[in-house]
Amino acid sequence: MMQRMAALRRELVFSQKRNAAVGQLFGEHLARFLHTGLPVLAAKELLVKLRKKTGYSYVNCKKALEKFDDDLKEAEIWLHEQAQKEGWSKASKLQGRKTKEGLIGLLQEGNSAVMVEVNCETDFVARNARFQHLVQQAAIGTMHHYQGTMNQLNTYAKCLLKSNELSQLKIGPDGSLLSDQLALAIGKLGENMVIKRAVWVSVPENNFIGSYVHGAPPDGNPLLSHIMFGKYGALVICSPSEQCPKSNFPELGWRLGQHVVGMAPLSVGSMEDEPGGDSETKMLPQPFLLDPTISLGQYIHPRGVSVLDFVRFECGEDTESLESE
Amino acid sequence: MTEELCCGNNNSFSVCVAGLRGCHSRLLQGVLTKLALPCTAFNGQTFLVRNFAVEAKKVYVRDKPHVNVGTIGHVDHGKTTLTAAITKILSEAGAAKFKKYEEIDNAPEEKTRGITINASHVEYSTPNRHYAHTDCPGHADYVKNMITGTAPLDGCILVVAATDGQMPQTREHLLLAKQIGVKHVVVYINKADAVDDSEMLDLVELEIRELLTEFGYDGENAPVIVGSALCALEQRNPELGLNSIMKLLDAVDTYIPLPQRELDKPFLLPIEHVYSIPGRGTVVTGTLERGIVKKGDECEFLGHNRNVRSVVTGVEMFHKQLERAEAGDNLGALVRGLKREDIRRGMVMCKPGSIQPHQKVEAQVYVLNKDEGGRHKPFVSNFTPVMFSLTWDMACRIELPAGKEMVMPGEDTSLLLILRQPMVLEEGQRFTLRDGSKTIGTGVVTKTLPLAPGDEEKWVN
Repeated sequence: MMQRMAALRRELVFSQKRNAAVGQLFGEHLARFLHTGLPVLAAKELLVKLRKKTGYSYVNCKKALEKFDDDLKEAEIWLHEQAQKEGWSKASKLQGRKTKEGLIGLLQEGNSAVMVEVNCETDFVARNARFQHLVQQAAIGTMHHYQGTMNQLNTYAKCLLKSNELSQLKIGPDGSLLSDQLALAIGKLGENMVIKRAVWVSVPENNFIGSYVHGAPPDGNPLLSHIMFGKYGALVICSPSEQCPKSNFPELGWRLGQHVVGMAPLSVGSMEDEPGGDSETKMLPQPFLLDPTISLGQYIHPRGVSVLDFVRFECGEDTESLESE
Repeated sequence: MTEELCCGNNNSFSVCVAGLRGCHSRLLQGVLTKLALPCTAFNGQTFLVRNFAVEAKKVYVRDKPHVNVGTIGHVDHGKTTLTAAITKILSEAGAAKFKKYEEIDNAPEEKTRGITINASHVEYSTPNRHYAHTDCPGHADYVKNMITGTAPLDGCILVVAATDGQMPQTREHLLLAKQIGVKHVVVYINKADAVDDSEMLDLVELEIRELLTEFGYDGENAPVIVGSALCALEQRNPELGLNSIMKLLDAVDTYIPLPQRELDKPFLLPIEHVYSIPGRGTVVTGTLERGIVKKGDECEFLGHNRNVRSVVTGVEMFHKQLERAEAGDNLGALVRGLKREDIRRGMVMCKPGSIQPHQKVEAQVYVLNKDEGGRHKPFVSNFTPVMFSLTWDMACRIELPAGKEMVMPGEDTSLLLILRQPMVLEEGQRFTLRDGSKTIGTGVVTKTLPLAPGDEEKWVN
């Protein structure tokens, strides 16, 4: 009964306000608060609180509070559900809009590494923490998907996942799909997004993976520190000889990845190839990025490392034409 | 008859013909006949009548100060609708051409200084000012716009939907505005017709003011206008529609200050050539970058490690004496007591003390991609291209900021440039970097810096 009364009173107040002229001064508002008493003030505070906490739009926050009689908890749950629903409808509405921007996410754990590409429409969204969170979820999802599938490797493994396979990946303990998360992000950020591709690489004990990411967004998100973001990414699978000290691996792998990103080789080539010019597309005979007077082969040979394979992702690149090559 | 012919077959020319129509000089008519001849003549009257109806190209009349503005805001908050509404309302007063949503929305690719930028430009005027209104789809496009200086934004209209309040991208956009040096922001709270609760509008306003302050803008005093661009476009609810747009334009007129005119700045003449004229003395030529030069002005020559003072004893244009030369004029200046060898191309003649040579600057640079004629591979620190600015060129060494090891084609970045010799450089000055026959990138100076110990030694090896 009390609740109904309160609701009724609020109803009354709202209808009053509806009649009020739009561009009123704050002072007049204040006067009205005093006049109509506490409930309004509380409703307003709740609205601000809910909005600050969830970040959902004002309209939805207000709806939620009205629906659940100012019960913050239930309103929040409802908002989350609503966001999922709105995300899906938004996602289907925006489907087909071009996605040329986005991010590459790179995640490395021990002997395996994952690289994913997620696209969006504008680079504004790519800078957003919510979008970066989605990239992270995709990367972790891919990592979990393959974890434990291949033990005791004799040689390296490389698996590619396409958009439709990725959307079916389960993430998190509750078994929600990656595509749900995608829809949520679309609903929140208002742009079409595509989780375009992912690659998982794993190497046996005696090899290592070099990784490099280029073009990181300006302000790194501290919550996502163990994943790297950028516009370009590269994974290089290296096999060191006995005399190559382990401490050199990260630095060397970084340099090799940098070369792959910068010079965009199409194949590895072999150590016997003659050093080529700027138009060379095989990695080993290419001029080394940081010292164009020597080839990449000549750079790695004295360091006791050989390159077995590499993967290069460039955000927004046309993958279909690449695959046909 | 001749005039009509001319109008009919060449649209863009018709304006000047229209202007001459009142003039009955034999000579002019002869000229017009000649112009008309190659393309027309033998067709019948019908042809003439039909063609005469073609709309003449308008002439831009410079009667109001010009200001560049842009719209920023979260996707779907109504940036484009607002722009459309502004043009619609002003077009009724004849001060703009109405652009439909679709016309504005697909920002065409344009090329400026060889760089491809996606941007749509719309122009309109209020009773006091003429505006160019820029809308870019991406962050990178705005940065490119800033670097090339196509439409330097004097102010921004931030659009926020009343239904949503500030959304994630509102933040990104404000960050961008800060980055590209926009100092004044006017807020338009859009979609107020979809909110029936005026209290919520207050909350949105409060929130946006907080946000502005957080980003270093004057959140307390920034004008915030509540309205609905859609109402204005559909001509309903004049309070939220029409009036809000008028209020917004008024706020833009008053809150965004006029940029300082080039004429009001101290003069600067980048020197293109130096001549020695027997019996008169030394003459320097070039296009006056800014300011006004008069006979008797004191001047200073800077650049190439030189610093000479003198007095302008004469200003000429097209071999005629000139009382004063203004920014944009191509002039020759006679200077007192200097030999030709004292000055060379690439130096500048300026008001004494108004500008300094610098050897180290921080700059924001856009690196051209392969399609734009740039390199196909990246560069790293210590790369030494040649820097071109004003009329000088000078070798420079690039130092990338910490955490950035290389720059890919198509990227924009901030970096340090250390010149072999100090040259005239100042904040906001634009330049091009070239390597051999390739243009690598275009940039704008963001800060001049003193030389640090060790910077110069690197040039020795």
